[in-house]
Parts: sequence; C-alpha cells; structure tokens
Amino acid sequence: MDEMNGLERVATALQFKEGDRVPAAPLVCGASHRVAGVTYGEWSSGEDVQAMVRGHLDALKLLGHDGVVALVDLSVEAADFGQEVFFPEMNTAYPNYDNPYIKTIADYKKIQRLNPRKSKRMKSVIDMIAGIAKEVGKTHAIVGFVYGSLGVMSMMRGPEQFFMDLIENPDAVLPALQAMDETLFDYAMAQAEAGAHGVCYDHLYCSQSILSKEMWEKFEGPSIKRLCDGIRDKGALVVLHNCGNGIYFDKSYQWAKPHAISHAYVSDDVDSWEEHKAKWGDKIATIGWIPPGPVAMLGTPEEIEEECKAEIEIFAKGGGFILSTGCEYPPNAPLLNARLIVEAGKKYGVYKK
Amino acid sequence: MATKEKEQELIKRLQDAVINYKIADAKKVAEEAIAVGADAYTVTMEGLAGGMEVVSEKFDSHEYFVPETLLCAKALYAALDVLKPHIKLQAGGSRGQVVLGVMQGDVHDLGKNIIKAIFEASGWTVHDLGRDVPLQRFVEEQLKTDSDIVMLSAMMTTSMVGIKKLIPMIKEKNPKVKIMIGGAPITEKTVEEYGADTTADNAPNALKEAMKMLETLRKGRAA
Repeated sequence: MDEMNGLERVATALQFKEGDRVPAAPLVCGASHRVAGVTYGEWSSGEDVQAMVRGHLDALKLLGHDGVVALVDLSVEAADFGQEVFFPEMNTAYPNYDNPYIKTIADYKKIQRLNPRKSKRMKSVIDMIAGIAKEVGKTHAIVGFVYGSLGVMSMMRGPEQFFMDLIENPDAVLPALQAMDETLFDYAMAQAEAGAHGVCYDHLYCSQSILSKEMWEKFEGPSIKRLCDGIRDKGALVVLHNCGNGIYFDKSYQWAKPHAISHAYVSDDVDSWEEHKAKWGDKIATIGWIPPGPVAMLGTPEEIEEECKAEIEIFAKGGGFILSTGCEYPPNAPLLNARLIVEAGKKYGVYKK
Repeated sequence: MATKEKEQELIKRLQDAVINYKIADAKKVAEEAIAVGADAYTVTMEGLAGGMEVVSEKFDSHEYFVPETLLCAKALYAALDVLKPHIKLQAGGSRGQVVLGVMQGDVHDLGKNIIKAIFEASGWTVHDLGRDVPLQRFVEEQLKTDSDIVMLSAMMTTSMVGIKKLIPMIKEKNPKVKIMIGGAPITEKTVEEYGADTTADNAPNALKEAMKMLETLRKGRAA
C-alpha cells in the first residue's frame, strides 16, 4: 500500500531523501495522444487543449506514474516564432527544413521577443499545464517543458547551418538568442504560474555529442542561469533534460544549479553509472535512464523489469532518483510497457524503514 | 606536371586548410594544384582525406565537436568541387559505393552529412538520398548503383521502425548487400532484431565498419 502520493514521492526524491518507494515517471508525453481519442497531429497542434489534458489524465489512470512532463514536441517554440512545421498524423511534428525561417544571416534580426501567453502553441502548453494542475496538481508532480534557445534556433535555421554560424557569425546569432531567451524566460514563468511544480529546460547541446564546453557556455550559459534563477524565484523546481552523450554535469551545475537532470547517458567526467551516482548522486538527482528504443519500445516484459531493477539497485539509495526513460517514452511504443516500468518501481523500489 | 616537392607542399597546405577549416584557402590551394598540373587524385586522397583523418581523430578525442567538423567538411567540399572533375579514377575505381539516407518521417540529417563528407574524402562513392526518404527509394537506388553497402539513419523511434520493414525489402532484391544502421535510438540489439549487419556511433567508426564489410564482400566475390 502506497504511503505517499506521486507529488510527495517525487518531492521527497528531489530532496535526496528516501520516500515510501522510488518514484516512477516514464516520460509519457506524445504517447498520451493515444488515449485522448485524437491523432498525434491533432494532439500536438494545440488546437484542442482539452484533448491534451484528457490524454495525460487518462494515461495517468492507465499507467499509474507519479508525474507528468508537459513536453508536446520540440517544435512548439519554433512554430510560434514563425517556423513552418509539419504535423503528421502518426509521427512527431517537425520543422520544414526546406523552408527555414532564418534563411540568411540577416534573417537572425527577424527574431523578436514574443508574448508566449498570446502565442498559439506555447499558450496551448500553458493552458494544458493549467488543466492538468487543476485535476491532479495536488497528487501528482507536474513539470513544464521549455526547449532551450540553441535548440529552437537550430530548428529555425537548420541545425547544420546553425552550428556553422556559431563559429562563423556569432555576432548575428547572439542578439537573436537574447530575444529568444527573453521569450523562453516568460514562457517558463507562465508554466510555473499555471501550476507546474517544476520546469524542465532542455539544454541538449550541453554535451559532448554536439558542442564544446566553452562554446555552450558562451551561447547558453548566462541565459540558462537567468531562466533557472527565475524558476526558483517562482518557488518551482529546476529540472534539465539532456539525452545527449557525455553531458556536461559540471557546467550544468555551475550555470543552472538544477534539482534534477533527466538524462540517458552518464556525465562526461565518469565512465559508469556507479561512478555517476558516487560523483553526482548527492548534488543533482537523476531522472532516467531506461533506454527508450531498445528497452521501453523493443524490450520484453522480463527485459524491462531487469533493466528497472538494475537501475534501482545502483541509484535508489539515499533518494535523488526517479525511475524513467532516458528520453521521451517512444510515442509509438506499447503503452503497457510504461506500466511495466511503474510496476517494476513498486516491486523493486520500496525503501525499507 | 608539378614536381614531387610542389605536390607535397600542396598536400600539406590542403590538409592544413581542412583541419583548420579555412574554406577559401582550401579552394585556392585546389585551384593552384590544378594550375600547376598536380595529380588531382593524389592531392585529394593525401590532402583532403589525410586532413579529414586528422579531423576524425580530433572529433574522437573531443577536441573538435559538431560545428568544427561541419566547417572542416565545408572546406573539404570547397576543394573537392575544384579537384573532382580532374580526378582520373585509379585502377579498381572508387574504394566502394554506399547508398546513404535518413529514414522516412525523419529530418535529422546532421550525422548523415558528416558521414557523407568523411566517406567521400576517403574515396568512396556516396549516393546520398537525403532525408525523409521513402523506403522504396533505398531499394531502387541500391539496385541502380549496385552499391556495396546501404546506410540507414534514424534519430527517432518512430522512424527507426521503418528499418525493420526496409531491410527485408533490400535483402530480397540483393541478399549480398551489407546494411549499416545508425542514429540515437539504434543499439546492437536493434541491429540483431532488425537483421542489419552493423551499427556505428559516429562517422569515423562508420568508416571503419564500412571498410570491414567491404573487405568481407570482396573476399566473398574472390572466392
């Protein structure tokens, strides 16, 4: 019998304390459209906020996880800044890279601060959070989601050209990032005000997979600090997400001081999960790290249970761990595999008093 | 005809231009190489491929990251565009042929483009189908070009599932062709489950894997 509700369980874990058991919150985001009675495209377009809320609430009932992450997809912010986005019926929305909003260096000047509360898709996310908070805000953890400015800008320029611009045209990129950062700051604050207990900022490029530490700091360090300080000032928790390889935990800690990072791989300064727990386990809580493709999607029930058990054995002690997928729960994976993750948390994650 | 010393000097300058992503320099040195009658194939392989080999090492050791590597590739192409029309294929032709593309429904082509640059610099013929490629296009292109290897990239689980369907389609038409798959959700388990031949987690490793597969294929043909 559970002694805590999901919100209490998650809050306890993020304070590096042991609750009744390890919280389980696979990142069931886009997958929730499947219980909302709408197509993926309809769900993510933001046209029907009630359906988005219903999807999450019904997914909570079906799967029993402890918290909701309000990620719709990574194109939300870019779309509101003017990027053309496709909404396939059965696939994640994505930008039309044949028609980038920023076609030339001069186009960076087109990026101006927006009011997210008066935008289309960002507003739908704010409203979705408010709708979920109204229903389950006292019993489940609700975490908002903001895609970082480097990521959003890369969607509007095309990643390849954008990365080259960081070296060749930094003076054009930086003012555009600043305008975007101001918008994302307002967006994060609006999510917290709508009832999110925490806000997750995706700093994907803060990893060995993409940028050097120095370059990441130059373009995203100061802005992530301001945004995360703002989230804390609102009384909400700071969460980061990064599914890149070799995440810069030291730089994340220096600039963002996050309560937790949702991640799929270990920090760049360690070689194993055991080392990661020893080095970072009492400073930054881990949300992860079940591999979405090979385990959550393709794994047998036995493999899923085995993976969860192994992760709990390494990470549960002392709290600071939420059992989850290392990246979004695959929108096309069997939904009941997410329930297996939750059940494995209940089976193996109980803290002995 | 350039002297051996001049050719070596040009090769060194081409390597430096690629490694230090000096795009204008790369083009200029390539033009000079043609003007003085240097062998285009030699300067391409030793200058551009040699330079890209150093870039791969820097990428592997985390000295270079994606932006630096992309600019190196840009410098490489600036020179290659000049040199390519002057290259007389050596005995045996190109090193090997690959069909390369990003799966249907997926527009993440960054990794694919870096792979393309490294393969081309190493003397491979790359048939790049781009991103969001319909499954049948891979089958048709492999048959048309008789490529040794098909390389499939997927960055999302929603596009990854197409690989499971595509591999039997390709193997049905040509059972001998080798298939490499890559991208964020791909692991050894996916390789096994989907019936691919191998995977690689970055471009230099993809090249090493391709070389191994090509060797196996050629041994098989010789036997």
